[in-house]
Amino acid sequence: MSNVNQFHTSSVHHPSAHFAEGRDGTNPSHYSTFTQRRREKYVNCALRTLLLLVLSGFLITCALVAHAAPAKAPDADEILKRSDTYRNGWPAFVTHVKITNYESGKPDEEELYEVSQKGTDKTYVEFMSPRDKGRHLLMLGDDMWVYLPDTSRPVRITPLERLSGDASNGDVARTNYAIDYSPVYVRTEKVGTEECHVLDLTAKRKGATYQRILYWVRVSDARPVKAEFYLTSGKHIKSATFDEYAEFDGKQLLRKFTLYDEIRHNSHSILEYTGTVPRALPDKLFYQGRSDRF
Amino acid sequence: MKSAPAIPAFLAVLAAAFCVHAQDAPASSEKSVETRYSVAVIDDATFYSNLSAPIPTTLNQVLVEPTFSLHYDNRWSFSTSLISDTTTYSDTATQLHVRETYAGLSAGDFDFTAGRKLVRWGTGYAFTAAGVLDPPRDPTNPTDRLNLNEGRDMIKADWVHGPHALTLAWSTAALAPAASNLHDTTAFRYNVLVHGFDTSLIAGNDRGGDSFGALTFTRVLGQAWEVHGEAAWREHEAILLGAKYTMANGIRFIGEFFTPPNIPYYRDAGVSPTAGRQHYAFLYAGKSRLRERPGWKEWDVSGSIGCNLNDHSYTGVFDVNRWFGKHVSSYVHAEIPVGSKTSEYGSAPYSTATSIGMRFQL
Repeated sequence: MSNVNQFHTSSVHHPSAHFAEGRDGTNPSHYSTFTQRRREKYVNCALRTLLLLVLSGFLITCALVAHAAPAKAPDADEILKRSDTYRNGWPAFVTHVKITNYESGKPDEEELYEVSQKGTDKTYVEFMSPRDKGRHLLMLGDDMWVYLPDTSRPVRITPLERLSGDASNGDVARTNYAIDYSPVYVRTEKVGTEECHVLDLTAKRKGATYQRILYWVRVSDARPVKAEFYLTSGKHIKSATFDEYAEFDGKQLLRKFTLYDEIRHNSHSILEYTGTVPRALPDKLFYQGRSDRF
Repeated sequence: MKSAPAIPAFLAVLAAAFCVHAQDAPASSEKSVETRYSVAVIDDATFYSNLSAPIPTTLNQVLVEPTFSLHYDNRWSFSTSLISDTTTYSDTATQLHVRETYAGLSAGDFDFTAGRKLVRWGTGYAFTAAGVLDPPRDPTNPTDRLNLNEGRDMIKADWVHGPHALTLAWSTAALAPAASNLHDTTAFRYNVLVHGFDTSLIAGNDRGGDSFGALTFTRVLGQAWEVHGEAAWREHEAILLGAKYTMANGIRFIGEFFTPPNIPYYRDAGVSPTAGRQHYAFLYAGKSRLRERPGWKEWDVSGSIGCNLNDHSYTGVFDVNRWFGKHVSSYVHAEIPVGSKTSEYGSAPYSTATSIGMRFQL
């Protein structure tokens, strides 16, 4: 404002203003000074208004930009827990799994299992195929036993001892990723027409089936779409697509799931889930010392 | 009678379990029946070479092995497994063996079993020190490839709660073959899973024989290693230590070391009573599904060697199995004993025993 006053003062004290005279003999410098002052007043007002408008505009723009800024990254833990509900519909349930192994696109062999799962770390798998009838697999957290009818006793097995073809014990028996893995949100990505969250899962335990999983789940409902599985060495060993979902006892659950071998690219396994029902399962079913053949 | 205290103990536990059962009636009125069955038919021919005894060179066996199990309402169960064995050796004879036949009742945390049942408390693959109710382990046939082992007649009560399990068993030798050297046995086992150790404490008594105690454990280390061990006391100590290693390609290696005292309970027929404590080793390498390729995954191959470190005798065993579809498999099993004629394994009356066979499973 002081600059404006200085401007006004300098115009009032313009040399020409002092030597101009009016016809009636009055000093025309007074009239011009008044006009000048009025003009300056209007300019001052206009400038203030303009400044006010610019400032308001700036503030409004800042507010709009702040409102439109990207939201905080989604909660990866929450997304993973939601996605697990498509593979674990109830606290205790029974399902039938058919694993069909394909070689070069042709079905090669088929295995049948009845899987009983209770909570997040108790799984009992009964082998139903004629070749393996009487065998059971028990998983309690990281610990696994297989009951062999030949030896008539449960035998402790290591994570590397596989179930069938491309499907390992963990693919059938360990379906709670939220329990076994720590998720980190990576990005959003489109898979086909589906907008998906991408999560990077790192195993919490050394005994986990895979040490790292890249996991795609739908943004709309956290339904699993696809996954990539990695070993401790970082080697990409398998990929999976979660192909079909169906309603079981009022819940949308995974119905079909395909595992692709990333080392032998002409081999894959399809896991199909049927007859999934909730069931009250006694803790005795998950006792590692059971020696019953059936 | 040393077994007398066990009977009142069983009755008391049974009464408690019935009380639990009465209080713990099922909420739903629906009753569920589940059945399971399997049938195996095996035709096995064994050819002996360089026989040192005047016995036939060929042994042929046809075995029919049906198994049936019924579960009613998740409480009552019945299971039976029979072996019909037609053997042609010097003549042809058919026998029916009862491998298992037992009834069970489940009530709350208790399970009761009565009848003939196969029980294996030992953790060893080829040997056992703590398997007081187990059928005999044979290092040349640890998997009982023809399923000829039979259970023991017993009454057994199990209490399972979380990671803890208590088992009380009384087994009678009344129906056992006279040459089996079995006694009426009362045994107790406490089994617990803690920090990955599956551990058992066993104690008991053979009527007219020894009291015994034993400790067993198994543990998995990392992705590939499993270790197991047994320590037992029956007159003297017996120790078993073993390990299993699984490679990333699926090949398994098992190694065991076993040292039993030279007492009738542990002594093999080929060992002299004056020979002192024995030391054994067992090594195994094998793979199921030889390669994950068509034409290869149907093959299972394994080789093992069980040796007596005292008399330096051993038997090499080689097995090849091939599956045809889901139901049929064929196999070759070869045993080659090596050692002096007075040694444990070298005393076998043949230089090789080769078995070929077909198995049908339903």
